[in-house]
Amino acid sequence: MAAVSGAATGGTPPVAARPPTKRDPLLQRIRSSVWANEHHLWGWGGRISAAAPFVALVLTVLVLAFKAWPAVKVNGAHFLIGTDWKPGSTYGAVTYTNGVPHPLGVSYGAWPVIVGTLESSGIALLIALPISVGAAFALTERLPRWIAEILRYAVEILAGVPSVLIGLWGALTLGPLLANDVYPFIANHVPDVAGFSYLKGPVGHGEGLLTSGIVLALMIIPIIASTTRTLFAQVPPLPKEGGEALGMTDWEVGRRITIPWVRSGIIGATVLGLGRALGETIAVAMVSGSLLATISPNVYGTMGTIAATLVTQLDSAFVDGTGFEVRTLAELAVVLVLVLLVVNILARFIIRRTGNLSVPLGVGV
Amino acid sequence: MSEGDERRAGEHIRTTPAESHREREIDHVLEALDPDRERPHDVVLSKDLSLSFGENRILSGVNIEFRRGTITALIGPTGCGKSTFLRTLNRMNDKVSGFRYEGDVTLEGASIFGPDQNLLHLRRRVGMVFQRPNPFPMSIRDNVVAGVKAHQIAKGKQLDVVAEERLRQVGLWGHVKDRLNDSPFRLSGGQQQLLCLARALAVGPEVLLLDEPTSALDPISTELVESLLRKLTPALTLIIVTHNLGQARRASDHTMFLYGGKLVEHGPTAELFERPKEPSTEHYVTGRMG
Ligand SMILES: Nc1ncnc2c1ncn2[C@@H]1O[C@H](COP(=O)(O)OP(=O)(O)OP(=O)(O)O)[C@@H](O)[C@H]1O
Ligand SMILES: [Mg+2]
Repeated sequence: MAAVSGAATGGTPPVAARPPTKRDPLLQRIRSSVWANEHHLWGWGGRISAAAPFVALVLTVLVLAFKAWPAVKVNGAHFLIGTDWKPGSTYGAVTYTNGVPHPLGVSYGAWPVIVGTLESSGIALLIALPISVGAAFALTERLPRWIAEILRYAVEILAGVPSVLIGLWGALTLGPLLANDVYPFIANHVPDVAGFSYLKGPVGHGEGLLTSGIVLALMIIPIIASTTRTLFAQVPPLPKEGGEALGMTDWEVGRRITIPWVRSGIIGATVLGLGRALGETIAVAMVSGSLLATISPNVYGTMGTIAATLVTQLDSAFVDGTGFEVRTLAELAVVLVLVLLVVNILARFIIRRTGNLSVPLGVGV
Repeated sequence: MSEGDERRAGEHIRTTPAESHREREIDHVLEALDPDRERPHDVVLSKDLSLSFGENRILSGVNIEFRRGTITALIGPTGCGKSTFLRTLNRMNDKVSGFRYEGDVTLEGASIFGPDQNLLHLRRRVGMVFQRPNPFPMSIRDNVVAGVKAHQIAKGKQLDVVAEERLRQVGLWGHVKDRLNDSPFRLSGGQQQLLCLARALAVGPEVLLLDEPTSALDPISTELVESLLRKLTPALTLIIVTHNLGQARRASDHTMFLYGGKLVEHGPTAELFERPKEPSTEHYVTGRMG
């Protein structure tokens, strides 16, 4: 596209418009309107600022990968499947593997924190998605305007609360409260069915997987809810009226028409929230227990996530004179980026699958 | 017609003396066979109906009855309250802020605003087709059976039967039978409107309200819809808002003319168009107004 707009501004004969991408007519339209017609107005300044975040991201990942490469050579596949986290004898002898210096006896396996990351974010999503969509629906469709305005404001404030405050509150107040009053109740009352065994067993003291999931949910609800609210507000009235005229209840109109109308947008908002949850650091570090080498046997147990590990381990990593532990943390960060990437690709896949029935651009009122 | 009607019809024949006039006997039988025999002729009745938005009175004192199995055209210049009137009949205006009504509308003798009137059930009985096609974001098949599912009229395999039946009824089946699971948004505007008609018919309404259903369609699709509407009578009672006077003439039995906040005139379509009683009606139907 740079070539196209460059030619347009440079005065050379205009380059013929690209043949439409078969895959994504929507994107094609956006591209042809924004990039071809308006982008040249912004000039290079616009182009650079538009590309800046992307370049920054690529550079960050490259630097991380560069830093991590020696660790990859030493840790090997064990890093992804191993369940131990041993920095070795940091004050002892230095050995070499594949030409990379590291302390004697290192063994780094990130599997527990990879699992912890996915589990805590998964729980957060399970809690946050229905609440967010429900709240957004209530805000746009059900509540009187003035109440909706107040709540909308409250959601925005919640979105702006620093995560360290939420983490502190989670660790000091919410966690103990849940562990004393809520978790025992759940653990004692879930049915003895195979799939529910994760909800049984010792409930701990409030630091752990479920508490992390709940705290994360609190942090991503504002993201998903406010995006979804905007989406709902844009659903045209005509299809909704069609549902009402057919004798559907408000609930059915919401479930069968309003929500599906913006389905791909909700998936997008969810991915946004999930990205935040997967990468959330300090709050999880405060309420998860920050364990490195343990996969919690049930939803209450202590655990760790990739992001929390990065922040809790960085200090001690600098003690490693060979720099190997820092390199290992860089490798862990690369894994986090890969997880985020996979999540985004999956979301795109889902959007494409459901997109078949969704509403094309230009339809609606 | 239900089985009960047939059985009662049979009894009727037996109790009629064989000697009596054959003509009268047949009349009796036919009458007895008519499933609507005990129901009032006027399905929908508007009694002294006045409609307003806030302080803005749109229509006042509308008295009219819609006869079973007929098509009534609702005409009048833009902004005269046609849509408002139509939307009152299945209470789509209930939610509109500021909407108020005085007077009453009855369906089969019972007020549609009455306390024991179930709104959802009312809308099943009084269906609506809108000016612009408004398919739901689901497959073509699911669009047709959306209302059927909501009212739990059928389920599972029966839904496929309903979908096929209704799509055939509106003449879409041939076009869409191979893409029932596709998006309805890739159909043409006319096809989408037919789909919406199929969807409205699927729940088995008694009355169908149509607000300029063909204004977004080409002449051929319009003709298609018009002939379709004709086929829906006498099973259904249709009320159709139209700006197309030709359509009103062609497709309706009765015509009502709204103007200046009032029901100016109504009557059999031919009469209203040929011999309008009011000067404003004459102006309108001869194309000198609106
Ligand atoms: N929701 C509303 N709130 C306030 N006023 C309204 C509302 N809907 C319609 N009106 C007013 O009611 C009057 C009648 O509107 P209506 O839509 O019934 O006209 P119409 O006869 O259907 O016109 P058209 O032929 O253009 O569709 C108009 O003056 C309009 O401004
Ligand atoms: Mg109208």
